[in-house]
Amino acid sequence: MSGLAAFWATGRSSTLLWLAATLGAFALAEAASRRLGRHPLAHPVVLTCALLGAALRLTGTPYAVYFEAVKALHFLLGPATVALAIPLWRNLPHVRRALRPLGVALVAGSLTAIGSAVGVAWLLGAPAPVLASLAPRSATSPVALEVSRSLGGLPDLTVTLVLVTGAIGAMALSPLMRALRIDDPAAQGLSAGVAAHGFGTARAFQVHPLAGTYAGVGMGLNAALTALLLSLVALAGR
Amino acid sequence: MIVVAFALLLACQLAGELLGRLTGLPLPGAIVGMGLLFALLTRLRRPPQALGAVGDRLLEHLSLLFVPAALGILDQGELLARHGLQLGAAVVVSTLLTLVVTAAVFRAAARRWPVDAPAEGAPAAGEGEA
Repeated sequence: MSGLAAFWATGRSSTLLWLAATLGAFALAEAASRRLGRHPLAHPVVLTCALLGAALRLTGTPYAVYFEAVKALHFLLGPATVALAIPLWRNLPHVRRALRPLGVALVAGSLTAIGSAVGVAWLLGAPAPVLASLAPRSATSPVALEVSRSLGGLPDLTVTLVLVTGAIGAMALSPLMRALRIDDPAAQGLSAGVAAHGFGTARAFQVHPLAGTYAGVGMGLNAALTALLLSLVALAGR
Repeated sequence: MIVVAFALLLACQLAGELLGRLTGLPLPGAIVGMGLLFALLTRLRRPPQALGAVGDRLLEHLSLLFVPAALGILDQGELLARHGLQLGAAVVVSTLLTLVVTAAVFRAAARRWPVDAPAEGAPAAGEGEA
């Protein structure tokens, strides 16, 4: 038994345990999300975090220990971010076809996403690190995470805000567009991708294939533009 | 070659990190790497097919990859208690406003500069799809 206890205390067992638990929780969450008809609130990541959060609390495992155990998964975010160039490149024909409306709407949306979030929180008295964590939250999370870090924000908080943003955007998309009488799938899709990254893109594909394509373009271009704009801000702030 | 394609993704990120380090600019390496890969793709006549396969596989599970960072919320109870209202208000207002502004501006701009008829519902595929 003492051999087992010694094994349990090693970093390797912790890695094996929490990697397996994370993948298992994600698989469960995927199945649950599918059963719930892909409801935006039942997003697999939200469910996975709830399950694992409960498991960490119950076992008294500090977050730092968990993160150390699963940092291989976190590392893969880097190459995955680089790979975002591939769908963007595939969608180039769509971008070329609607270059001017896309460009104008993208810049307007991107500035609104950054400016209104920072503005509201600033009016309510939020301190600088909180504002920096909010600024990139409409971008897809690997990008938002990196930008938040370079702005002096709290990357973990940013990831949480990205997830909440995505869930709200995906849920609000159809009711909002109905209220505004905007039925053009391209306009709907682009706004979903710019405002609510991957969550919005997934929702847009349920609305119309063309909406999904524009959402993917919006997500990719907004990630690039947000990184560019906020990197300039970080540079100016130094 | 899957292995070569994955190595290319890592190499782009490494080049991005190095560029950021050398220029001293606060540019995230992975994002610069994304730009480098995009530039490379537009220059290649026939991008390697395996690159598309590796990319699709990684992006298909992208949401799994941010679980480790997202759980960081567990250490932020105090922060959320103190700034929860500011954060909640900012996220809700900004997300709804961004949806409205983007869609409305696109609609107005598309009236001014009509969009060429798209292949309705066709999946977006570039020539020489990777």
